Amino acid sequence: MTQATGDLLTVENLNVEFDTYGGIVQAVRGVDFSVAAGETLAIVGESGCGKSVTVQSMMGLIPMPPGRITQGSARLRGQEILGQSRIDGREIRGAQIGMIFQDPMTALNPTMTIGDQIAEPLQVHKGMSRAEAAREAIRLLEVTRIPEAATRAKQYPFEFSGGMLQRAMIAMAIACKPEILIADEPTTALDVTIQAQILDLLQDLQRETGMAIVLITHDLGVVARMADSVAVMYAGKVVERGSVDDIFYRSAHPYTLGLKAAMPSNDPTLKQSLQPIEGSPPDLFSPPPGCGYAPRCPHAMKVCQQQQPPETSLSSTETNRPHGSHCWLHEADSPFKPAELHFIENDSAVEQGAAS
Amino acid sequence: MWSFILKRLAQGVITVWFIATATFFAMHNVPGDPLLNDRAMTAAIRANVEAKYGLDKPVAEQYVIYLGNLIRGDFGISFTQENREVNDIIREHFPVSATLGILAVLFAAAGGVLWGALTALYRNRMPDYVIMFFVILGISVPSFVIAAVSQLMLVGVNSALGVTLLPVAGWGTLSHMLLPALVLGLGTMAYLTRLMRSSMLEVISSDYVRTAKAKGLPAARIFTKHQLRNAILPVITVLGPSIAAITTGGFVVELVFAIPGLGRYFVQAVQQLDYTVIMGTTVFYGAFLVFMVIVVDVLYGLIDPRVRMQ
Repeated sequence: MTQATGDLLTVENLNVEFDTYGGIVQAVRGVDFSVAAGETLAIVGESGCGKSVTVQSMMGLIPMPPGRITQGSARLRGQEILGQSRIDGREIRGAQIGMIFQDPMTALNPTMTIGDQIAEPLQVHKGMSRAEAAREAIRLLEVTRIPEAATRAKQYPFEFSGGMLQRAMIAMAIACKPEILIADEPTTALDVTIQAQILDLLQDLQRETGMAIVLITHDLGVVARMADSVAVMYAGKVVERGSVDDIFYRSAHPYTLGLKAAMPSNDPTLKQSLQPIEGSPPDLFSPPPGCGYAPRCPHAMKVCQQQQPPETSLSSTETNRPHGSHCWLHEADSPFKPAELHFIENDSAVEQGAAS
Repeated sequence: MWSFILKRLAQGVITVWFIATATFFAMHNVPGDPLLNDRAMTAAIRANVEAKYGLDKPVAEQYVIYLGNLIRGDFGISFTQENREVNDIIREHFPVSATLGILAVLFAAAGGVLWGALTALYRNRMPDYVIMFFVILGISVPSFVIAAVSQLMLVGVNSALGVTLLPVAGWGTLSHMLLPALVLGLGTMAYLTRLMRSSMLEVISSDYVRTAKAKGLPAARIFTKHQLRNAILPVITVLGPSIAAITTGGFVVELVFAIPGLGRYFVQAVQQLDYTVIMGTTVFYGAFLVFMVIVVDVLYGLIDPRVRMQ
């Protein structure tokens, strides 16, 4: 695995399992990704592909048991954080890595004021007094653009709207100036206009503080708008990674192409109908020996069913964000080359659009 | 907050009036006659006694007099105990029952919250199984059995030690109160443990506890500030009815441990159709329970902001 030097966070070969009544679910099966300081990495994929489990297991937020990290490492500035609560004498969670979640309506404690909840990590990690932390909480609410912050700080979550709650969550997550903010589907539960405001806020905060963002989403629109680099996940694995341009303009993996074709568009000049990916993801109780996407892949070959495809390095637009794809089609003796594949895929989409 | 309390108090007064009215008419429709004893042998004596207690007047008029007396806090004179005012009976014996009841409720609430939280934290492990076994026992075994068995065991312990660790029966000091209060509160404690366990399990897997973990808070702080406070809400909700169950259910325990509480008079009065004592104690108990429920509501409002601001 080639890693760009100076990566802030590096995750390698992370494997996570869950014991369930039906057997062992292999939710994450060898995930690699890395984030450089100040950049935004988007982890994309459909529901159940292991995006959230990846970051939550890294942060020690999955209940163990039934969850279990069987292999892998996650290093922050070169130091292992899996199973650790502190490195460099500082708490990892809350102080060095902040986190926000999907549903702000349930992610805040209903019986504690917003101000107190934001002040909590400041008191615990920074040793601030109650009064200091309360003042800082109000300032953080102002930073996240909540009007009348002083009044709002004394209110409870049920008095806030969804968008306001997500702002408060962000204020809480950045309270101790973390180097990384993990945003686990931060806008999925919000309506579109609020979504845009929250994404703007995250970008502005990133510019001001220089923190890296790991953005988990299934919305390619959000990826295009926010990300510097992208990791596409499928069935517990990263199938393609690269810079946002590589992923969108030079997509190599058939799954990435399928995702793009399945994206709705509001451009009337594009005579392209929305193309769903047929079928459903593999059963992670007994994952297939070969490529997880093979049963749904229009280009699947025999080898795809039998063996895991290795990562193929592709030419990249940006050297510090290597473009790689796990697909047998990239092998020298495959019937198609990635570039052709790209062409074929687009072509068939256009043809189908014209036919309908 | 104050308007909330005042509103609840006004509602409470109406509730007590309902209780008083219902008791009054229920009593007057029960077959039998409170004066069917030696004192009212002849018609003349009977008329005299009826006049003394106001029983010769029409029921509607009796009702008005009764309500008037009630507002002045006068429950009247007992029919069966010569010259004994109902107020005296309550004044003498209610503090005993109330002390026992409150102690029992404290035992039940503290125990229920503690054991419930423990079973949830040790879910499906040994402490959980052991505690839940006793919970099932506490819910299914009636209090008079537990009272008698615990008395027997205490006798055994006392004689084995050769000193009186705790008195087996009677009333007076705190050591007298401990065992009966524990026995009285046991059923409720078991019930609250189960409630607290399920509520705690729900809170443990909630999103905001995950948020608290993601903030890197120490486990102790997560437990007190985020888990306990939210998990305790359903327990407080049922605390009102629980207080009712404990205070009215105290009679059996009072009898077994020979405690001079109000419960005994209450049952005696019902058997003897002692109108004034029945109505007095019922209304008094009713008012007490209504008041306790209001206290619980206010407590709930203090803990859960969503309640007090609506």
